[in-house]
Amino acid sequence: MWHLQRLLHSMSQALAAPARNPRMTVVIGRLLGAAFLICFATGLYSHFLQDPLPWMLFPSRPIWLYQLSQGIHITAGIVCFPLLFAKLYTVFPELFSTPPVRSFGHFLERASIALFVAASLVQITTGLLNTYQWYALFPFPFRQTHYALSFVIVGSLAIHIAVKLQTITQYWSKKNSYEDDGETLVAAINPHVSTSPNKPAIDTQPYAGVTGRIVNWIEATPKPAPTPSRRGFLVIVGAVSAALVTLTAGQSFRVLDATNVFAPRKNNVGPNSLPINRTAKAAKVTDTAMDADWALTVSNGTTAVAFTRADLLALPQYEAELPIACVEGWSQMASWKGPRLRDLADAVGAASGDTLRAISLEQNSIYARTTVFPQYVRDGLTLVALEVNGETLDLDHGYPARLIAPGRPGVLQTKWLSSIEVLK
Amino acid sequence: MKRVQIALIAVGVGLLLVGGVTMLNDVAPKNYVGILIWFAGAIIIHDGIASFAVLALGIAMRRLGQRFRVPLGAIIIVQGAIVLGAIMALIVFPEIIKKSIGRANPTLLPLDYGLNLAIFYAVLAVLTGAALAVYFVVTRRQKVRPLSSQA
Repeated sequence: MWHLQRLLHSMSQALAAPARNPRMTVVIGRLLGAAFLICFATGLYSHFLQDPLPWMLFPSRPIWLYQLSQGIHITAGIVCFPLLFAKLYTVFPELFSTPPVRSFGHFLERASIALFVAASLVQITTGLLNTYQWYALFPFPFRQTHYALSFVIVGSLAIHIAVKLQTITQYWSKKNSYEDDGETLVAAINPHVSTSPNKPAIDTQPYAGVTGRIVNWIEATPKPAPTPSRRGFLVIVGAVSAALVTLTAGQSFRVLDATNVFAPRKNNVGPNSLPINRTAKAAKVTDTAMDADWALTVSNGTTAVAFTRADLLALPQYEAELPIACVEGWSQMASWKGPRLRDLADAVGAASGDTLRAISLEQNSIYARTTVFPQYVRDGLTLVALEVNGETLDLDHGYPARLIAPGRPGVLQTKWLSSIEVLK
Repeated sequence: MKRVQIALIAVGVGLLLVGGVTMLNDVAPKNYVGILIWFAGAIIIHDGIASFAVLALGIAMRRLGQRFRVPLGAIIIVQGAIVLGAIMALIVFPEIIKKSIGRANPTLLPLDYGLNLAIFYAVLAVLTGAALAVYFVVTRRQKVRPLSSQA
């Protein structure tokens, strides 16, 4: 045990790589904190678009709003991997701080950091797995857990900033962080900062035994020059982040489509040149959607009109260039065609401020019924789409008819429409 | 500063409470064990395994650099390539596995991720070699004609 402790202590000395210093922790921490807040804000936007509180109002324009916000959510989430690893790398020696617990306050601090780190790692990992629907890997519901953990993470972040505020302020600017020779200035305000590379080894006598040989081996390792090492570290973090964005963000941002080689989605792949999230087979609507007697029932109280597909095609047809933008981050522009939703609503005498409910042929899904607020109903770009990209809507894209509205997440663009009701 | 700290802690505790209440309301208690196992697993895998592997790699590279008189800049370039390759593997390997065990539909994970990763590694190796070559040429020139601005 004694040897082990000594090994750990010695290791914490060897751990004092130039990139492991409070200034670097602050630099990376700022970026990671910003990424977390961006993910939190865009995540809340996506959440409340799907589950709005009564007073909330969401705009239908610009049409790319959700495409952008959710694309940023997923891309920033992916960039959190290198940033979080880099952040944890810079504070790795803190794991071996001795004594492990100094006081009750210190215990609380370490426990909160453990919670923060665990929640962050689980959040970004399950988030990534969710983008290709690998739910079987984790024994808890994704959406609810992801939502609850986001508050835990941002709450822990606020507490973490409060606890570390002195260190953060001291090392906020580069000028106050390093000495002329590039060594990190030791924090005078915090005697417990254990990352100073200047600190001499407490125990300098040679070690014996197996652990002793490891210790000697580690301690004989030369210390690299501080300034190039730190620059190298930042360049590596930047290069990894840039590579991840370049090679995956094309699923969300068209401009990077050519370099999209690792994202779980690719533009133009799928029937009607569009990716699919939920197939007709998975939604168990193959029979009902192909039924020759299918008709879309639009109702307002006791007034109800049934539109067959031929009836819908006989209505004035409009074209709309709208993105399909999924909560999983991928999005793609498509050219939709069909009657306007507001024309159908007007056919049953809906008022301009009325909210609609779109109901799918799909049974037993929380997304089988969605609420369409007036700003979407009245938007001229909101269609009951019958065609996409110049072809009849594919069964997997919602044949015989689906909803498409600007600024709404894909899960709310109800496929395989069965009926539309005016809510009173 | 004290006031800012108190405000931050108040906000933080408030958000933690929201998270906790949301968890209690939206996630069934039978799932809590699974979440805790994932939390513990994340700490064990990261703090217990991955970070030690990174530490060992860092020390080993420093030692090798010392033995073979490799300059620090060259070591950093190679370390950067290893880190980039490892993180890319971390992101892409699960996609390869998920695709092989079955996906919800063919538009999900449509690419040949194994092949793309192999190409990525080939490009990374070439770029690393090029960066090393540039580094050695530049440092040799600097040794031949030391720049006064280097002092």
